Amino acid sequence: MKLTSRSGRHSSKIELQMTSMIDCVFLLLIFFMVTSSFQKAERELDPAVKVERPSLAQGPKDLAPAIVEVVRGAAGFVYKLGGREFVSTDELTTVLSQFDNKLDGAIVRAADDAPFSMAAAAIQACKTARFANVSYVPPGAK
Amino acid sequence: MRLAKRSHGNKLDVNMTPMIDVTFLLLIFFMTVNQVSNVNKTQVSLPQLKGSQDQSEGNLTINVNQAGEIIVSANTVTLPQLISLLNGELNKVQRDAGRLLVVVRADQRGTCRTVNEVISTLVKLDITRVRIAVESAP
Repeated sequence: MKLTSRSGRHSSKIELQMTSMIDCVFLLLIFFMVTSSFQKAERELDPAVKVERPSLAQGPKDLAPAIVEVVRGAAGFVYKLGGREFVSTDELTTVLSQFDNKLDGAIVRAADDAPFSMAAAAIQACKTARFANVSYVPPGAK
Repeated sequence: MRLAKRSHGNKLDVNMTPMIDVTFLLLIFFMTVNQVSNVNKTQVSLPQLKGSQDQSEGNLTINVNQAGEIIVSANTVTLPQLISLLNGELNKVQRDAGRLLVVVRADQRGTCRTVNEVISTLVKLDITRVRIAVESAP
């Protein structure tokens, strides 16, 4: 029984070949570094944004909801609320905030050729003014 | 003078452990943050507004690009094709439109024409749960 007599068994070191692994790791690292892109977080404008049906819109109400329209003015598109026209969303938000009746909600309507950014900003202004419900109504579905 | 005698017998021993540690750390970081591309979301410039809540997963995402094209799942579709797609989604929820959530991602540089058409189409199909995607502004 000379099981332990092999010379060199104790003295030999285990050598790991790291070169190929490091090659693969670097390759993957460079791949992910090149392909990855950071995206901005998206949010939703409002879960209460509703599409109002034409039949519902025609119902008689004691208190009419605030109607914000994006229409073409003398110098480009403006926000129209009642008889007043606003250029900036800040002005619109300020006036909307002063409304007493916010329970009946607000309606946003944008002309077909109006910029979508203004329509979205009008909805945002209504929400910032804390209207209970904000409905987006296409011009054809009055 | 025995200056050169020591260096002949020594091996240059580079310690690889910290480098491999850092490399693996970077690799795992990039693998984690690199999100799988979502085919439902086309590259559009969303309105930069603060919104009201974080985005949730809708049943159907309708993209409208600057040119007014409707893009669903990376395919440009016409309005009749969109109607058939919506009908398919409605069938999945047993024609209960209240269970269908549609996210509209429209380019802020475009006009409202296509968005109005899309929303009018949704109205006709009794789909009222519509959400507009925005890019969170600081």
